[in-house]
Amino acid sequence: MATEESPQVTRRATRSYSASNTAIESTNLPESYKPTINDLGFRQQPLRLEDLLSSFPGRRSQILELLRLLGPLNSPMFPILVYGGPSTGKTSVTLQVFRHLNRPFIYSSCITCYSPRILFESILNQLLFHRKDSGHSYSSVKRCERPSDFVNYLREALENVLTNLKGNSGKVSSKMSGRPDGTMVYLVFDNLERIRDWDKSSTILPFLFNLNDILKMPEVGLIFISNTSPDTYYLNIGYVEPIPLYFPDYTEDDLRHIFMANQTNSRLYASFLDVVLRPFCRVTRQVDELAAAFSSLFKKYSEPLSDKEVAPNEEMKRRLFSHIRPHIASALNETFQVRSQPLLKAETNEETKKTNSSRMLGIREDFDKIDFHMSTSAKYLLISAFLASRNPATLDASLFDSTGVSDSRKRKRKASEKSMDQKEMAEQELLMKGPGTFPLERLLAIFQCITSLAEDSLDEEESHELTVEGGSRGLMSDVLLQLSSLCNANFIIKGGSCPLEGSTRYRTAVSEDLALKVARSLKFPLSKYLYRR
Amino acid sequence: MGREKEKEKPSEKALNLLRSRLSDPNFIFRPLSDSPDSNYSKLKFIISTSVTEACNNSILLLGPHGSGKVAVLELVLSDLLQQYPEAISVIRLNGLLHSDDNCALKEIARQLCMEHQLLFSKVASFDDNSQFMIAMLRECGLAHKTIIFVLDEFDFFAQGKQRLLYSLLDAMQSVNSQAVVIGVSCRLDVDQLLEKRVRSRFSHRKLLFLSPSKEDTERFMEHILSLPMDSSLPHNYAAEFNGRLKKILSDERFKELIDTYLSFNFTIGHLVRFLFQAVSYMDLNAGFLSLGNLKTALSSNQRQLKLESIRDCSVLELYMMVCMKRLEVKEQTSYNFYSVMTEYKSIHDSFQTSDYYAANVCLRAFEHLLQCQLISFIDNKGHNQSVEFRPVKLLISSAELHQGLKSYQQCPAILLKLMDR
Repeated sequence: MATEESPQVTRRATRSYSASNTAIESTNLPESYKPTINDLGFRQQPLRLEDLLSSFPGRRSQILELLRLLGPLNSPMFPILVYGGPSTGKTSVTLQVFRHLNRPFIYSSCITCYSPRILFESILNQLLFHRKDSGHSYSSVKRCERPSDFVNYLREALENVLTNLKGNSGKVSSKMSGRPDGTMVYLVFDNLERIRDWDKSSTILPFLFNLNDILKMPEVGLIFISNTSPDTYYLNIGYVEPIPLYFPDYTEDDLRHIFMANQTNSRLYASFLDVVLRPFCRVTRQVDELAAAFSSLFKKYSEPLSDKEVAPNEEMKRRLFSHIRPHIASALNETFQVRSQPLLKAETNEETKKTNSSRMLGIREDFDKIDFHMSTSAKYLLISAFLASRNPATLDASLFDSTGVSDSRKRKRKASEKSMDQKEMAEQELLMKGPGTFPLERLLAIFQCITSLAEDSLDEEESHELTVEGGSRGLMSDVLLQLSSLCNANFIIKGGSCPLEGSTRYRTAVSEDLALKVARSLKFPLSKYLYRR
Repeated sequence: MGREKEKEKPSEKALNLLRSRLSDPNFIFRPLSDSPDSNYSKLKFIISTSVTEACNNSILLLGPHGSGKVAVLELVLSDLLQQYPEAISVIRLNGLLHSDDNCALKEIARQLCMEHQLLFSKVASFDDNSQFMIAMLRECGLAHKTIIFVLDEFDFFAQGKQRLLYSLLDAMQSVNSQAVVIGVSCRLDVDQLLEKRVRSRFSHRKLLFLSPSKEDTERFMEHILSLPMDSSLPHNYAAEFNGRLKKILSDERFKELIDTYLSFNFTIGHLVRFLFQAVSYMDLNAGFLSLGNLKTALSSNQRQLKLESIRDCSVLELYMMVCMKRLEVKEQTSYNFYSVMTEYKSIHDSFQTSDYYAANVCLRAFEHLLQCQLISFIDNKGHNQSVEFRPVKLLISSAELHQGLKSYQQCPAILLKLMDR
């Protein structure tokens, strides 16, 4: 109890509060960090040009062009738009160039600053050396929502910073004191393409591109980084476009250089890359996706080797190749997934007895288990939503009548030519329209039918499994609460309301594979209820 | 890391000088404004007569972006401020920032307070601000001081109800004031956007800013790129630089280059940006501007963006685009991910390609194409459905796709065959 541990605390306090209090009294709380002008530069060891060029293979011409456009110290510049595909190194090259040049810059990304207000306030915080901390209850230094206010505050803040920098430039050489060079400030806006999805994008985008003209301060340089090409930003209002700087995707040779860096056994990795790089490059050439695939494949590749440091000769390369070959085809069809822990253990057990799993050409047979946890009622709800979306409403009565299982297989008539064409058209329509919508009442009705079936079938089996779940009592959780959590997890999409009825309609967003997996985990015969035309 | 400053090479100094010149609008537009019938002189005449004769006036400056409207205006204003230092005060508004009337009046009040050293209250309401503005207009009129309102991006002020414009122009007419309203816009028909009551109070004076003639352009380029002889640069270096520059400017290839560039981007602003790029590419070791720099700048401005995007795609993404093209040829106007997948499967079945991948990998490629804006959703309201079911359309024509496939390294021959059908 609190009073026993610290007798000086006389008032009533919770246990955790007094425990933390004693901790605070014993140690001095460190002063919260106050940023200064030195923080505008990159606060690491400065980089030489050769190191910069060698740490980015394949980007030599882009780095040199960026250096030329930024120009010598204190030289004004036109705005630059750096664009290229994702994970081509735009942000890292820009930041490392600033580290090499040791010039003050402000960086803001439109992913973390997802609204105009947050973007403006983040820039002002950095310029006014304000860090959000608990002392100010994590507020920014100025509240700024509109572009007009932003321009006024920005001008004041920039003038402060520039006078500060000018004062510093007359003093000791900055290389000794870690201060950034020069009297210009650069603003870097990253992930500009996200602004297109904002509500106010039609005013914010022209504002940002015209910021140079609005501010009319030659000591400010603007750099925009974007994943999409400049023609996606053309709006009705014309402006003099920023100078474009293109980062093309890496070629295969560049990818080889990138992956070979920092490898302990470079000969082994080189032979590995010879095998996998070409087929994977046909699927994707993005570094992050390839890196995810290669890391797990390389472990498999070097499995049969007892000594990981050895450089392979031709004979060993051939053996390793034949070992890895069946795995490549299956790995090509995977996208990066984060598996939960229990399944990883199951994976190592299953691998020892797994046979060649590519029965269908290249399509991997996934585990029959779903790799996330769902409560039983949520699973039933998911299945009912899937059935409600898939089947037309008129069939419900026949499928879910009171006797439970019914036979939905119609008597097969001999298919004529016309009905085959109609079938194809109907299938195409189904593909195009996607899953249908259903109201809440229908979902709950199907849910009740299914769960009552499940209880009946469970009662027939041994009941020792039920003691864990509590039998029929386990399925009586709050269904509406489950429904809203399924909506939040994007398993069910909540649509607009039908204007005639006024109730909201829902639609399922899971694929048939996932629904089958969920049904299999419940031992529910889903295929009997699916309507096939 | 010693303390000595590195000796600046003359080429570096020249680079710095040229770059700062090209970024300075005053320097650029002054020589173009020297002749007596230029926009500069006309504008100066109009404003100075309003100042000296104590009358109200309004004028529109029209021209595409980069033709120097605001730059010339700033030149005129700085000259007039030197001539009549006490008789002019300038209020600057921008349509991108202040198109909302509340915002605009607040900004006017703030700038008036700053000029006349009054205290500005942030919580003043719209009525307070407008009364303040009218009172200031009256006071300045009595003191024979002209207030010049510069409304940049004027077409944004003409959206909505035009309350600000009406109150400003009305105040000018009714109150004993001396004010000049200068609207700057890139839309040549912006006076048609004005309401009737606003237009009747607006004088229909317009100044058009067109691109200069060819000779003027050439003279301009020579003037702006030549190094001055009397600066801190070594004399012989500057002389040689200017000599080489003259040779380049009279070269036929250069004339062609400039013609190509100017046929797409015909304003001075664009030309200045092009020259800035060319100057930045100048080789510091050689120390002189060369034709190659200009060519590099031109090619970096003439990128074919969609072709680049196609070249950045992987083979799987090319397959998907070709499938969509085939669906279009089959007159299926709207298609979504699943219909593309059926087409992909049918291609694989008929031609036995080696590139058949699972649905999740194809979905990732599909999303990458969406991100590059090579395809896009047909409507933006379909957030009800998941990505796989929303209908999409191709954003490149079949000619572009064909060209992209041909220029793709190691493009599978099957794709070209499919496109040709």
